[in-house]
Amino acid sequence: MSDLEATVTPRLRPGGHAVLRRGRASFLVHRRAAVVAVALAVLLACAVVAYLCVGESFVAPSEVVRVLFGRPSPDELVVGTLRLPRLVVGILAGAAFGVAGALVQTVARNPLASPDVIGVTHGAGAATVAALSFNAVAADALPYVSVAGGLAAALLVYVFAWRGGLHSSRFVLVGIGVSVALGSLTQLLLTKGDYLVAQQAKVWLTGSLNSRGYEEAGPLALVLLIGLPAALWAARAQRGASFDDDTATALGVRLGRVRLGLTALGVVLASVATGAVGPVDFVALLAPQIARRLTRTAQTPLLSSALAGALIVVVADLLARRLFSPIELPTGVLTAVVGAPYLMWLIVRTRSRSGGTPS
Amino acid sequence: MSRPSASRLSARDLTLAYEDRTVVEGLDLEIPDDKVTIVVGPNACGKSTLLRALGRLLKPRRGAVLLDGAELAGLPAKEIARLVGVLPQSPTPPDGITVADLVARGRQPHQKWWQQWSEADEHAVGEALERTNTAALADRLVDELSGGQRQRVWIAMALAQDTELLLLDEPTTYLDVAHQVEVLDLVRRLNVERGRTVVAVLHDLNQAIRYADHLVAMKDGRVVAQGAPDEVVTTELVQEVFGLSSVIIPDPVTGGRLVVPGYSRQPSAATAKTIAR
Repeated sequence: MSDLEATVTPRLRPGGHAVLRRGRASFLVHRRAAVVAVALAVLLACAVVAYLCVGESFVAPSEVVRVLFGRPSPDELVVGTLRLPRLVVGILAGAAFGVAGALVQTVARNPLASPDVIGVTHGAGAATVAALSFNAVAADALPYVSVAGGLAAALLVYVFAWRGGLHSSRFVLVGIGVSVALGSLTQLLLTKGDYLVAQQAKVWLTGSLNSRGYEEAGPLALVLLIGLPAALWAARAQRGASFDDDTATALGVRLGRVRLGLTALGVVLASVATGAVGPVDFVALLAPQIARRLTRTAQTPLLSSALAGALIVVVADLLARRLFSPIELPTGVLTAVVGAPYLMWLIVRTRSRSGGTPS
Repeated sequence: MSRPSASRLSARDLTLAYEDRTVVEGLDLEIPDDKVTIVVGPNACGKSTLLRALGRLLKPRRGAVLLDGAELAGLPAKEIARLVGVLPQSPTPPDGITVADLVARGRQPHQKWWQQWSEADEHAVGEALERTNTAALADRLVDELSGGQRQRVWIAMALAQDTELLLLDEPTTYLDVAHQVEVLDLVRRLNVERGRTVVAVLHDLNQAIRYADHLVAMKDGRVVAQGAPDEVVTTELVQEVFGLSSVIIPDPVTGGRLVVPGYSRQPSAATAKTIAR
């Protein structure tokens, strides 16, 4: 293409993108997605400061910032030792749920899909309750049991749904079936089991950041760190997976491999997050949809999904801690209060759309 | 096992099946280079299935599709996508995608994570939009387009892929007759001006005759006849392939062959009633 032509014809690029070119390398940046990501990050930073200020005792924002930057402060115990570890777990788990939800929704091509749908949450729940009921493992091994349960359930769904290929609606249906079966198993264990165990299990099953700290944050941070390069790959691979099978194949996408990779990454992230904080409901469902509505991109933006997930969990846990103080609610209750009406709205809207009038 | 092949794309002893239903059995076919090949045949004769296999959307049960002498199944997916473009019969776009974005996706096989939008990408997408007359739609949502506009956008995406071979499965479906002619003229121009080898499945026999250099007539998963339309199309062939008696007259526009179905139309109910009275 000659320079003359380039100046005469307006430069063409995929809608809303800026192009960065240097030599043979070129990158596309979706302008609106970039703005949304920055805005979400700023909101998250505000929520973080608010989270650390508010509590049994109020700490001034200036002191919070001092602690965050490692300066000596009289509030170091309250902020740095009591509130910060719990906040860090919340941010990491929220981000992991957000990315997991985005990946699963892409593979399933369905905004209703989330790691709950493909068995992770119920698998983790059943495994944890079983371990508690039979007193099988030490308490500090419970997160690992939960991760194993989530992975095993997702693997089960994958094996059942595989018939020479992975079809998205079959995947979702099998996932719901397996989830219901595992949910029933959990209820059975709770009913048959010891009352105290049931009490303890119930708290875990609602999902809570209460008394979670750096011990839970460690594995989560590690998985996110390993998952980051994988997510960069996923962001590109997602583009292919959003077509029908024939068109994607025609574009040279190895669909089987891409779907397996995206699902595996989503399942690992959701399992580890569930292991750390329990099933905090609806975060994985909500975060990607909020992010996508804001960025208006053709595929679910991973970075914004992670930020939205973290923001939801931090705000929900802040409210859970303070709303009925001194009584503390499980974080999962707060996310469910927001998430359940959204889910119903989504179902109603999807039905009225498919029911006829093209929008 | 690779016999020297006259053409770049060919099928050897190809057997194609869905689950346990065999659609095509033991089929051999050479796609002539630099020509427009059009496959015709009655519904369910296996013509779309054959096209899917040629574009490696369907794995052969037996036999192979050869591209430049190598088995398609053994080549890297991205490499094939840079050589062979396929427009499937009913493609589904990602939700909420714009026309320019969709056409730009055709560049995917040429891109790497550090080459997301090169000058070549920009050029190919611009040209694809121009050629298919869809540049004015660039910022519209694909979901909002009419059937005809949408079909042209899909063709633009396949063009942006910039492949030497282009396989089109019923590219004129959903189009009114004027747009059908527009698309077929476009296919012809791609062949003449850009030297593209094209394989298309078409329903309309007369359109196939008019636009094909090489016509392939299929029935029950077999190739019944192939060659230049003016040599191949006879009343006997139309009878054998479509089970239709017909008269063949010279096409008043091209001088080629024009198939006119031979059955006279039944009188309408109104006429029949008048006669009865």
